[in-house]
Amino acid sequence: MNIGLLETGSGYWNALIWIIVTVVVGIAVLWLRSKGEEKYKKNTNQTKPFLSGNPEVSKEDSHVGASHIYWGFTEALKKYYEPLVKLHTGDINDYSGWIILMMAIIFIIVGVS
Amino acid sequence: MKLDKYLDRSLWVFHLNTGSCNGCDIEIVALLTPRYDVERFGIKLVGSPKHADVLLVTGPVNRKMLPRLKLIYEQTPDPKAVIVVGTCGTSGGVFYDSYNVVGPVDRHIPVDVYVPGCPIRPEAIINGVLKAWLKLERLRGFSGAEIEKKIEEVSA
Repeated sequence: MNIGLLETGSGYWNALIWIIVTVVVGIAVLWLRSKGEEKYKKNTNQTKPFLSGNPEVSKEDSHVGASHIYWGFTEALKKYYEPLVKLHTGDINDYSGWIILMMAIIFIIVGVS
Repeated sequence: MKLDKYLDRSLWVFHLNTGSCNGCDIEIVALLTPRYDVERFGIKLVGSPKHADVLLVTGPVNRKMLPRLKLIYEQTPDPKAVIVVGTCGTSGGVFYDSYNVVGPVDRHIPVDVYVPGCPIRPEAIINGVLKAWLKLERLRGFSGAEIEKKIEEVSA
């Protein structure tokens, strides 16, 4: 295996230098971490985030869902969406009724023209 | 990060208002002005109890603030000291029999230093903070002789 210097014209890249830098930074991180405070009380509020003294909200309640991206969109088209949501009752009889009604209107239009 | 006990970092203070009229809070802010300037001693107000050595409480503790007071006390890392500033936090003050007051502070969390006054003088708060500092040094393992020496150095 040949580990050489790759010169690109705008710089160089060497796998050995990369590994050495990673090891040195890793040692520095571990050393800093070992100097951290060890005396904190585990499994108490000391490990929980500070939210101005308020209790931590559950992950489910604090989650920002994908639907939040569309908040402005649905807010702007609220007048259009709200009647549509009301129409979606979840009752199959209602949906069948809409199909029959719409087909009747289409047949009338087709028949007349 | 603490490199050793003789190279300790500065004293950081978290200020919690549990329903104060803001009189004491204004005096605390006065400590940071050029006239008193406690930051020259390294005493600094911080935005999170997790970074604090001292919890500075003002106000008589109303019902809404009680769970927050307890939570913030728990979240302050050990070793810690609690200073109550003002008559309200010390005894309830003029609000002692209010329907909405559940204080004083020491009814709910252990208090190390009381600084009474309505409002307190900034010099009194500095004195209280120094007392809390000495208590913290005792908790951090300094001997009585070392603390006495430090007091002499400060007062010299």
